[in-house]
Amino acid sequence: MRQGGRTSRLEGGHPSGSEWRHPSEGEKAPGASPHLFVHLAVLFLAACLIWLPKAGAAGVEPEEQPAQATGRLTDYLTVDLRLIAFGVCQQPVESTQNPSNNFLKIPLYVGDMEARPDLRLSAGPLELGAKPRMRLDDSVWEEGSLTGRSHGDSDFYLNEYIARLKVREGLFVSYGRENLQWGPSFLFSPSNPFFQDNGRRNPYLEVPGMDFGRVVWVASAALTFSFIANTTEGLNRTTGPGAFLSSVPPPPFEPTYTVKADYTGRDKYASLILSHRKDGEGLAGFYGGWTVADAILLYGEGSVSQGSRGLYPEGDRFSPFGATMAPLHTHDPALYPALLAGGAYTLESKGTFSVEYAYYGPGYGPSDAETYYGLRRKAAEAFDAPGMISGLAQETLGETAITDLRFLRRNYALIQYSQPSIRNRIDLTFRWTQNLDDGSGQFTALAAYELGKHVELFSVATAAAGGKNTEFGSILGYEIMAGLQYTF
Amino acid sequence: MKIRQTTCNAVRIVLALLLFTAALPPVVHAEMSHKEVLAKADRARGNADGVEWEIDISSVEGGRQQQRLLRVGARHYNSLAEFLAPANVKGQKLLMIDRNMWFVKPGLSKAVPISPRQKLIGGAANGDIASTNYAGDYNVAEASADAVDGAACYLFDLRAVDKKATYDRIRYWISKEKLTGVKAEFYTVSGKLFKTAVFEYGNTVTIDERPQPFISKMTITSAVIKEDVTVMNYSKASLKTIPDSTFNLNLLVH
Repeated sequence: MRQGGRTSRLEGGHPSGSEWRHPSEGEKAPGASPHLFVHLAVLFLAACLIWLPKAGAAGVEPEEQPAQATGRLTDYLTVDLRLIAFGVCQQPVESTQNPSNNFLKIPLYVGDMEARPDLRLSAGPLELGAKPRMRLDDSVWEEGSLTGRSHGDSDFYLNEYIARLKVREGLFVSYGRENLQWGPSFLFSPSNPFFQDNGRRNPYLEVPGMDFGRVVWVASAALTFSFIANTTEGLNRTTGPGAFLSSVPPPPFEPTYTVKADYTGRDKYASLILSHRKDGEGLAGFYGGWTVADAILLYGEGSVSQGSRGLYPEGDRFSPFGATMAPLHTHDPALYPALLAGGAYTLESKGTFSVEYAYYGPGYGPSDAETYYGLRRKAAEAFDAPGMISGLAQETLGETAITDLRFLRRNYALIQYSQPSIRNRIDLTFRWTQNLDDGSGQFTALAAYELGKHVELFSVATAAAGGKNTEFGSILGYEIMAGLQYTF
Repeated sequence: MKIRQTTCNAVRIVLALLLFTAALPPVVHAEMSHKEVLAKADRARGNADGVEWEIDISSVEGGRQQQRLLRVGARHYNSLAEFLAPANVKGQKLLMIDRNMWFVKPGLSKAVPISPRQKLIGGAANGDIASTNYAGDYNVAEASADAVDGAACYLFDLRAVDKKATYDRIRYWISKEKLTGVKAEFYTVSGKLFKTAVFEYGNTVTIDERPQPFISKMTITSAVIKEDVTVMNYSKASLKTIPDSTFNLNLLVH
């Protein structure tokens, strides 16, 4: 669970607007209207039709064509369709971040239905892919000012798409909306300059895609070089600290350019990432792993960034709360490291224990944390006060909720046990995440039950431990998500 | 008299030579080293430059049945398996680059690194779906002759050259006539037999413009629980050069 985020989605059912939205609400994109989708779908189909008669022409080696190709679209196009329906029951915590649930307005129940078709077309050197999504959801409030109310919504958007051309053997050029993730870790992926959410917390919620142009050069079996340009934010919309106030526009998106070098050896792999954001922020990252033995994996991941985009509390004698939140280290020449070390051991029974420790340099130290919680408490006390101070309190709580930091503090640990394929049907994962600085923790249990060849029942349950003024104890006491997935 | 005796001896020698020759395997086999015999057997179970095939795996473990259909591209120690069926696992991928392994699930863009101990399904190890390179991965510690179902076989006791190999020790029966592996016993590091396999060669591929028998079925039986059986049926096999980009994580997920 993170306290703030660059995107509008906060993990663990965290708020994402002046009114709480669905956990996967961040995927919504006002810009990705049905009109845009239709436009892209037409382009996709047009490309299919134009390309098909020429498949097998220059640059296409016969061996790369599907066996017994007949020239029909079905030889090249694959469509996978999943329907997913789930319900969420969650208990908001009475805390200084969300007094009486009147600030975050978290619903007690959420229902959701989604259609997730994945389309892929592969014709010689050209690959096209699209992941349109359709969703219906409904929320019911039982606490706070919205008690007794419900709200339904529908959405239609293109979460991912890609066009990739194999220019020559080992050289690929692509453009599209992707969820571009890498690295071996569960807690977070500090070497990824694009996404704060690595999608590991809840595998049934999709991470919104961003738009990338990529050139990938597979120099050899061991070495690969990539140039990646993050051109627009796509559906992973920048919200920034003003997300809770409609009057505050989000900060402008800044393109990021990244060079990535990957090495894969006999039992080790390593990657180096150098990234530059157009507004000047730089990041150097790495990750690597080692298959020590048949049952043992060791891995690490990290980054060093110059400055921090996050909001930090500082004493302010002019503020009625005695402090304010401000981007104190945006142009700070100081280097902020984020490091993660982990390992996994697989038992003979195929169950796997994983352990991770993470140091998050941009997080708050003890002094900052004390100022932060003091500020939050005073803002919460003024939340229902008459006059302008209430507005200031809302603005402050918006800033304390979305600090633009991946974690609030600095030291974290994770321990996880996964047991796949119990009786050939059940997958179980139990995970404990611990904030080593404030003592709060989060327990997550994931269960999937294979019911026949098409249906999977699943649940993701999360419970927080720790005081109400701790990182994991501030928003939700528990969250239970249960549903089914039908794959055609 | 002397001439008659000499003629008689010559006839005996010729007869003895004929009998001796008839008892030997074909000359070409007799001249092969153990490694060459292994390499010939490997050719019927994969290819150094690459092989692509579909594998229908059905297993019975503890009385419970499980089935998977995979499309596999493999070369040397690398392989990429894509799950085609049943529907609820369709689109899952298993990438092996030497001893590094990743698992990809649809909906998750991040590949999960997994350890080699996480077997594929039933009694099938991840290494079983890749092409076989016993000639490179194992040394012949001991060779003898044996028979399987009445057919004369070489019996090789193979020991892994290094940790790259899927198994530490294999006892491998290779048909003297067809030069194809017909049976294998797989042992743990501690020397304990943990599974046996028998192979069938109903497929045919063309190598050097000549049709060659190619693996069509591998039946794995647990040495501990005899009722636990995994059957791998190989189809749509084609030998071809598989490029490095097939095994590249940067291009795998989209």
